[in-house]
Amino acid sequence: MTEENLSQAQPEQPETPKNPVDKPKKDPREKLYHPERPLILASSPHFHAQATVPKIMWNVIAALVPTTVLALVYFQWAAVGIILTSVGSALIAETLVNRVKGEAFTIPDGSALITGLLLALTLPPSFSLGGTALGSVFAIVVGKHFFGGLGYNIFNPALLGRAFLQASFPVPMTTWTWPLTARYADVDGITAATPLGLFKFEHVTSDLSGLLTGNISGSLGETSAIAILIGGLYLLIRKYADWRIPLSLLGATFLVSGVFWLISPTSYPSPVFQLFSGGLMLGAFFMATDMVTSPVTARGAWIFGTGAGCILVIIRLFGGLPEGVMYSILLMNAFTPLINRYTRPKFFGEVRA
Amino acid sequence: MSSSLSLKAEFIKGLWKENPVMASLLGLCPTLAVTNASMNGLAMGLATTFVLLSSSLMISALRNFIPHQVRIAGYIVIIATFVTVADRFLAAYFPAISATLGPYIPLIVVNCIILGRQEAFSSRNGIGRSLLDSLGMGVGFIMVLVVLGSIRELLGSGSIFGFAILGDWFTPWMVMILPPGAFLTLGILIALANWYNDPSRSKARKVVS
Amino acid sequence: MSKMSLSTRMIFVLTLITVLSGGILAGWDMVTQPKIEFHRQEALKAAIGDVLPAHDSYQTQKTEFGSIYIGRRDSISDPVGIAFMAVGSGFQGELRIMVGLTPDMTQLTGIKVLEQIETPGLGTKIVVDPSNKQDPYWFPAQFKGLHISPEIVVIKNAKPTHNNEIQGITGATISSKAVTRLLNEQITDIKTAWTALGGTE
Repeated sequence: MTEENLSQAQPEQPETPKNPVDKPKKDPREKLYHPERPLILASSPHFHAQATVPKIMWNVIAALVPTTVLALVYFQWAAVGIILTSVGSALIAETLVNRVKGEAFTIPDGSALITGLLLALTLPPSFSLGGTALGSVFAIVVGKHFFGGLGYNIFNPALLGRAFLQASFPVPMTTWTWPLTARYADVDGITAATPLGLFKFEHVTSDLSGLLTGNISGSLGETSAIAILIGGLYLLIRKYADWRIPLSLLGATFLVSGVFWLISPTSYPSPVFQLFSGGLMLGAFFMATDMVTSPVTARGAWIFGTGAGCILVIIRLFGGLPEGVMYSILLMNAFTPLINRYTRPKFFGEVRA
Repeated sequence: MSSSLSLKAEFIKGLWKENPVMASLLGLCPTLAVTNASMNGLAMGLATTFVLLSSSLMISALRNFIPHQVRIAGYIVIIATFVTVADRFLAAYFPAISATLGPYIPLIVVNCIILGRQEAFSSRNGIGRSLLDSLGMGVGFIMVLVVLGSIRELLGSGSIFGFAILGDWFTPWMVMILPPGAFLTLGILIALANWYNDPSRSKARKVVS
Repeated sequence: MSKMSLSTRMIFVLTLITVLSGGILAGWDMVTQPKIEFHRQEALKAAIGDVLPAHDSYQTQKTEFGSIYIGRRDSISDPVGIAFMAVGSGFQGELRIMVGLTPDMTQLTGIKVLEQIETPGLGTKIVVDPSNKQDPYWFPAQFKGLHISPEIVVIKNAKPTHNNEIQGITGATISSKAVTRLLNEQITDIKTAWTALGGTE
């Protein structure tokens, strides 16, 4: 679908009255939130004309199931508490904002649930429930509704919530617990550095099998690369996520970190380690592919993913923080309107399906 | 050119309707930079008000004497003089505050509120009126800085003016005393003010209830 | 006035304003300068007092690596300690740390961070840690009596076991290491300067 027929398919917002004093009686945005209506602010790759916001959102939730289940297995009650708090606060905040704005309730579209769940998956298992609720409310209220609600937000709300928590509570946000199943290996048994933190500050590389299955310390959802890959591939196959974004993001990360690794294998970690550690998999498949905050064009998607991958490696290798997935995606979110503007297809029928 | 408001209105307009920060979005650099605690906001507000009042006095007194072509140069020299006076005063009598505010006191010289009021008001009005205008603007500026500083200090350190308000159960939100906290809080405050001032709000309320 | 040409009038008015403002500032400087200098000296004295063991007076000695302050007691002829200001970059900006050393240059007698712009709540723990209610000054306190040879080392997530080790701040590794790096670098310089003065006993 091209820009032209996309815009034709969308009901246009009523034209702003020429005389600003002559305001329409009803808020024109009000009807944009109706859950039964077709997607209003469309972005690629919506090749299915029938795709509705709820349908997309519930599929994303389904794709998150393997990761969530593994988080519950590894971190047990800690994970239950954080996931329930995060999702619950997101839903309550969404309802309250709907009420204050006087618009239809938007919980059935599933977007608030996703934001809550994604935020929970980026949090360390030992994080306080009060902090979790705060981040979740921030994500919904400031991250989404301050910008005008679903479809108008510039930044991925869950990542914005996490950025707020990272800036507010830097120590608890970087204090990690071993998964219960891996505790036997740890002498202290309470806190440990993540594989990325270990490499950055102590120069210790971690075992790849642990990174794949998730038997490592880290956030709820960033431990097992395999579980995320299963969900992510499901999204790609069902075409609810643009395959170009994760591919270019992971590819750029692999290539750029590979160059540094070839230059000096002792001071820089291997590109394989880079791919499977930290929140990269979760970020690449579930955060960067957020339809609202990533470019709509195919070329834009390549630029978006490549840019995020390069920023990520720079932060990981040279920044003050061990992990850079969150900031790299948020930075590219900010560039998305610009990318959309400059990658607009020039002629009809250019986009491949 | 001179203002036709009543003397009382001349003072009051700076508090809310023409508040330099909330309505004109002037002087945002110190507003964002030093308000990580109530005390810093108050000190910055007072120093700015002092500079505003004394330069208004000078400039309205000299308004018919300074040639139009060199007025800005003249204003800047006058403002810079009083800023230096304020800076040295704080360094001599309140060294702790002077150390905390650091370069932001000398930077009052480039605060748009001050030059703006001189150009827009004091150069066209008498001494009394100009002083009232500056006082209103200054008090309006202090109010915003103290409110902003208090919100940020409360959430970021659990205290207001150094007095612990929130108990040990409260984990400070570090972000509030960092620069992003300033942008967030000021943005939310201005949004609330605009919502309050919005004439169509009475309609919006009906939809809610 | 009105008879003056415009350019003369501009020059006249601007000159008048600048002379006036120069006069105000000169007068105000005479009032405030002694007080500002007094506060500066007080701050220096307090900082030296904090990092050196009990002393009655200190003597300022200029060297090629900056001033060093030699603390003395009236009753003893040997100095009780040497202090100097270590200046260098921290995580975000300049750090200025007053450092106290024993006269034989083997141990620290204390440090005090005078200026820093580290991350509030994290890096600022190099000055004071409000989250540690029992011992908010635990980080600077570790430097008292610390041995400086071969060099000061930061230990993470564990208790130090050697007399040249300190515990780093969780979440602010870079700030912790900036302090020790600064000390390690500049103590070497001060040692050279002190030896040149013939001070080593």
